[in-house]
Amino acid sequence: MRSHAGTPPSRRRFLSLLAGGTGAGAAVLSGCALQVSSGVSGPGETVTLMVKPDDISPELIKQAQRDIGVKIVAVRYDITKLIGMMTSGSPPDLVRGVGAVDAPYFAARDVMEELDPYFASSSVLKVDDLDPVNDLWRYDGRTQGMGPRYGMAKDFSQDSMYWYNTALFDRAGVDHPPETEPVTYEQWLESARRLTQRKNGQTTVFGGSYNGVLTPNLLASLTVSAGGSLFSDDFSRVDFTTPEARKALGWYVGYCGARVGPSIIQPDPNGWDGPTYQANRMAMSNSGYWLGGVINADRNLAPFSRLAPAPVFEGGARVSPCQAGTGLWMPKKARNKEAAWRVFEWFFGEAPAKERAASGWGIPTLRSLRPLMPSQEPYQAEVLRVQEAELKHFSVIAFTPYATADSLYGLFNQIAPAALRGHMTVDALAGRLNSVMNEQLKRGKEQVG
Amino acid sequence: MTVDQVSAEIDRSAAQADADRARAAVRPRTSMAARRHRAFYLFTSPWIVGFLLLTIVPMAYALWLSFTTFDGVSPHWRYVGLGNYRELFADSQTWDALGRTGLFAVTSVPLSITAGLGLAVLVNRPLRARGLFRVLLYLPAVVPPVGAGLAFKALFDQNSGAANGVLTLFGFDALGWLNDPYARYVLLMTVLWGAGNIMIISLAGLQDVPRELHEAARIDGASAWRSFRSITVPLLSPVLLFQTVTGVIASVQTIMPLLLSPDGTTQGVTAISQSNYMYMMHVFAEYFALGRYGYASALLWVLFVLILGATGLIFKFTSGVVFYNVDPEAKK
Repeated sequence: MRSHAGTPPSRRRFLSLLAGGTGAGAAVLSGCALQVSSGVSGPGETVTLMVKPDDISPELIKQAQRDIGVKIVAVRYDITKLIGMMTSGSPPDLVRGVGAVDAPYFAARDVMEELDPYFASSSVLKVDDLDPVNDLWRYDGRTQGMGPRYGMAKDFSQDSMYWYNTALFDRAGVDHPPETEPVTYEQWLESARRLTQRKNGQTTVFGGSYNGVLTPNLLASLTVSAGGSLFSDDFSRVDFTTPEARKALGWYVGYCGARVGPSIIQPDPNGWDGPTYQANRMAMSNSGYWLGGVINADRNLAPFSRLAPAPVFEGGARVSPCQAGTGLWMPKKARNKEAAWRVFEWFFGEAPAKERAASGWGIPTLRSLRPLMPSQEPYQAEVLRVQEAELKHFSVIAFTPYATADSLYGLFNQIAPAALRGHMTVDALAGRLNSVMNEQLKRGKEQVG
Repeated sequence: MTVDQVSAEIDRSAAQADADRARAAVRPRTSMAARRHRAFYLFTSPWIVGFLLLTIVPMAYALWLSFTTFDGVSPHWRYVGLGNYRELFADSQTWDALGRTGLFAVTSVPLSITAGLGLAVLVNRPLRARGLFRVLLYLPAVVPPVGAGLAFKALFDQNSGAANGVLTLFGFDALGWLNDPYARYVLLMTVLWGAGNIMIISLAGLQDVPRELHEAARIDGASAWRSFRSITVPLLSPVLLFQTVTGVIASVQTIMPLLLSPDGTTQGVTAISQSNYMYMMHVFAEYFALGRYGYASALLWVLFVLILGATGLIFKFTSGVVFYNVDPEAKK
């Protein structure tokens, strides 16, 4: 037989060499992937949390080890990474989510673990103690707010409420909003116009910001406030042409067009209201109680900051929803569910929850933690009074399970700028939004089955 | 034993000795070659395995996804054959984004190459503090793109940016630089700002141009411009070709519009101004904002083919004007 030594390897040999290398590499990689959620590590349990850095600090991770003997491995939240981990069968044990929009989406796709049995046996998280905001994490296969629980909010805000800077109101000679009675959306916009200050084409003070958490759930909330519903009964379609949705859309287009606050046609380089409000360059910010975390920490700003009830549409319903309800959920294929639940209990009902409640970053989602909310200073007491009165008007506004809020937001951003700049009528915008969003919802419905 | 038999035996022995010598001579050579091959594959195997796992496998996976309606989570995704590709060609947004990307490439690549070459010619002259100039001009290229994006966003913000500060100082009204229609100019500025990278490569090319050719041209009465056009540019043509090809590839894949956008995240990609909504932005929007992994994969495969085609065309149309400074004898 002729020797092959000294000749280049054949294609087959070359490929077999590569295949060997690939196999070895794949084994190494899959070993790494498995390590992410292997369950037990050392003397205690290990739980993988997919969260944002703000959700849990390194100190809290160490504290978990001390308090409950569970080692937490934090993985930075990233939807693509989450999908990759779920697809490979190694999901995190707990995942961050925005209850208002993520709960129906993931629950409808049957990737979330039902938590009712866990709640039933828990001595830390009792169903009677849960604030109604946690209903955002319920889904009965058709409507959000009913059925089994799939997660829990870590804190919340009634996001249509707004903070205002009394000093900027006084400087502009605008009356302060009433403490517990809502102004109309039209009045809010008029005040924002009067509060806006411009110089040489530059906005030195934004009259008011009103963008909600994400435009789609803002529009859904505004439509309910106008007395209607953005979604059809089965949540498979949107309709922006109903009088109520048209009113809501028209108001938002008017807000953006007036350029009294940040929007996609006048972006705020800070990306969110906090720093702009803190710099005394924003008179009103619709961020809900949650922004109190920033305000309470600023001794110069806090005495001049007040919280006001969510505006209403004339003749519409008084609703004050939560557009986020950010919290955690457990994937159905999580490997270490018992330990994950122990972390869940600790995070939502023990030391971290108490610390969050006292910080002013959102309202605690357990009623029993309400007394911890900041109220020592007179302005804090005033804010708390407004907030407590507003809680009576809380309601869950159900979101569609057939599309992510991000996808509807993306479609809105692609279509709306022309209308926001006055190059398209609101009616034409409503028609275009119906067309593109319903196409996305149709695709989503096909995929849910 | 007869004389013939002896003679035959001698011949056989001589032939055997020749064969042994030949085998002895060949064996070390072949085993050395085999060792070389083994060493080659051993040393390159990390790259080859990486290339397979991180390039070929994902590409093949993306190709498979491009024939499906996969969205990452939904249980009932399905195979749609060429459905995504058919939709892609009928999608006006794809064409609009492609048109904008093409326009950006044909504008930004020549501009940045010209700027980089101009700077290289300047800093190639015997100037005082030449090294310092080279460093300063190259510095922006060292800044990470995210940092550059944030800096430009702050610089060109309508309400607090320095660009409008200068405009208003001279009595002009502030402009919405990061919105339509100005956003495209800010994007171009970011490209030119990073021209130091091209400058460095051009500078290396310039220093390779033999000085005696310029001296001969000067003796023949050629002007500086003629000398630059007829000697420097032809000798730099391989460098310019390299810059053109890599520039086109980079410009059609640019993510700078995302970094200049208010949100700055892939989920918020749709909030960027329409004039900067390039092909890659469309891919991000479909992938991250709309969750259409299958469709976005089809978009990426089309982009891959387009880049290959564009590169092939560039090579074809420049083959007559690119001169390689290679000794013809060395090719033999």
